[in-house]
Amino acid sequence: MALVNEARIALNRIGVISVRQQLRSLTSGKHLDQQAQPQEVKAPQIKTFQIYRWNPDNAGEKPYMQTYEVNLRECGPMVLDALIKIKNEVDPTLTFRRSCREGICGSCAMNIGGTNTLACISKIDTNLSKPLKVYPLPHMYVVRDLVPDLNNFYEQYRSIQPWLQRKNEVSESKGKAQYLQSVEDRSKLDGLYECILCACCSTSCPSYWWNGDKYLGPAVLMQAYRWIIDSRDESTTERLSKLKDPFSVYRCHTIMNCTRTCPKNLNPGRAIAEIKKLLSGMASKPAPKLDTAALHK
Amino acid sequence: MALSLLRNAGKLNVVGLTKTATALSIPMKTLTTKSLSAESSKTISLIKNAQGMTRKFSLTSAKMAAAKGNHVPLWTAERLISLGLLGVVPAAFIYPSQTLDALLAVSVVLHSHWGVEAIITDYARPQVVGPLLPKVAHGALILLSIATLGGLFYIIQNDVGIAKSVKQVWSIKAAGSGVAAEEPCKE
Repeated sequence: MALVNEARIALNRIGVISVRQQLRSLTSGKHLDQQAQPQEVKAPQIKTFQIYRWNPDNAGEKPYMQTYEVNLRECGPMVLDALIKIKNEVDPTLTFRRSCREGICGSCAMNIGGTNTLACISKIDTNLSKPLKVYPLPHMYVVRDLVPDLNNFYEQYRSIQPWLQRKNEVSESKGKAQYLQSVEDRSKLDGLYECILCACCSTSCPSYWWNGDKYLGPAVLMQAYRWIIDSRDESTTERLSKLKDPFSVYRCHTIMNCTRTCPKNLNPGRAIAEIKKLLSGMASKPAPKLDTAALHK
Repeated sequence: MALSLLRNAGKLNVVGLTKTATALSIPMKTLTTKSLSAESSKTISLIKNAQGMTRKFSLTSAKMAAAKGNHVPLWTAERLISLGLLGVVPAAFIYPSQTLDALLAVSVVLHSHWGVEAIITDYARPQVVGPLLPKVAHGALILLSIATLGGLFYIIQNDVGIAKSVKQVWSIKAAGSGVAAEEPCKE
C-alpha cells in the first residue's frame, strides 16, 4: 500500500490523471472482482492405457495387459507423461526406461499403438474411445514390463567398431591436431550421426526379428555406414570386408520398416543400400577433398 | 570428531598394512584394523581393474553368430539378372525364338530360385526348426529349380516354346472355340 501511495504522489506531481484512476481501481480491488468469475470445472478426459506387464519374479506368470485410466486434463501431452503419472500415482511397480524426456537419449523406445517410437515425443491419442496399447520393443527379450534386453543390439554395435580408425598411428599422435574434413565430406554424415540408437528401427525389421543373431539390423548398419563413408576414416576396406557375408547386411530385403518408424526421421534403409552398392563395387568411397592429416605434418 | 576418527583410521590402516606386510605377530589392537586394510586393498584392486567396473548385466547372453562366406557376387548377380529380365521378358515375347526363350528360361528360374532361397534362409532357421529341415528345404529347392528349368527347356526343344505357350494360354477362347492350350506355362 505504501508503494501505491508513493506512486500516487508521484503521479500527482506529473499530473497524469488517467493513470491515477487506474491505480485507484487497482487499490479498490475492482479488477479482482471482474476477474473472479466462477471457474467452470471441466469434465475429466479419461483415456484408457493398456500396458504390457511381465514380472520375472512371479515364476510361471505369463505376460498380460494391464489397464490404467488416466485423466488427460491432469496429464502432460506425451505418452511418457502418462506412464510417469501412472507410476507415480497408480502403480509404482510399472517398469520402463526413461531419461531425457525430449527425444535425444532413446531410453523410452517402446511400441506405442502399434508403432515403435519414443514415448517422450509421441503424443497421446486424444480419441478417448480407443485404448492406447503400449508394448515393449517387439521381438526382444523382455527384462521386465516395458524394458527390453538390448545386450545383443549393443554387442552388434560394438562389433562394427564405431570409432575413427587411422592407418598411420605413429606420426599422427592422438589428440595432437585435428583431422581435416571438407564441408562437402562432412555433409555426408548428416542424417547418419543423429542416430540415438534407440533400436526402434532394428526391432521393427522382420529380418532382424528372424535373424537377429547374425543380421546386424538397420540401426547398427547405418552406424557402420557412418564410419565407412567418413572421409577421415581409413579402414573402409576392412569395415566393408567384415560385412560381406550372407547375413550381416544381406538379410536386408528393403522392407523399409526402419525408415518408416525412425523417431528421428532418419533413413537407415538408404544407408544399407549404400553399403550394398559399396560392397558390390557399383559405388566407391570418394577420396577426401582435404588432406585429412595435413595438421599432423 | 568425525575427521579425527577418520584420521585415526588412516593411521591404524597404515599400521595394519605395514604389520601384515612384514608378517609380524598380530596384537589385538591391529586385528580390528586388519579388516580395514583388506578392504582398502580390495578397492585398490577394483580401481586397477577398471574394465571390470563396466561389466555388462544381462538376463540373456548376446548371440552374435559369426556368419561366414562372401555373398557379394551372388547379390550382384541377382541385381544383374533382375535388370536383364527387364529386357529379356519383352524381347522374348516380341521376337519369339529359341535363343530368347532359353535366355528367358534361365533368367526366370535363377531369379525365382534366389528369391525362394532367401525366403528359406529367412524362415527355416536352424535356431527354430532344427538343423535338418533347412538343409532339406534348400535341397528340395535346388531339385525344384532344376526340374523347372528342365521342363522349360523341354517346351523350348520339343514344343512351341515358352513365349508362344504363354500367348496360346492368353488366346484361349470360351469352350468350343478352336485353339487349345496344351501346355499352360507356369510363370
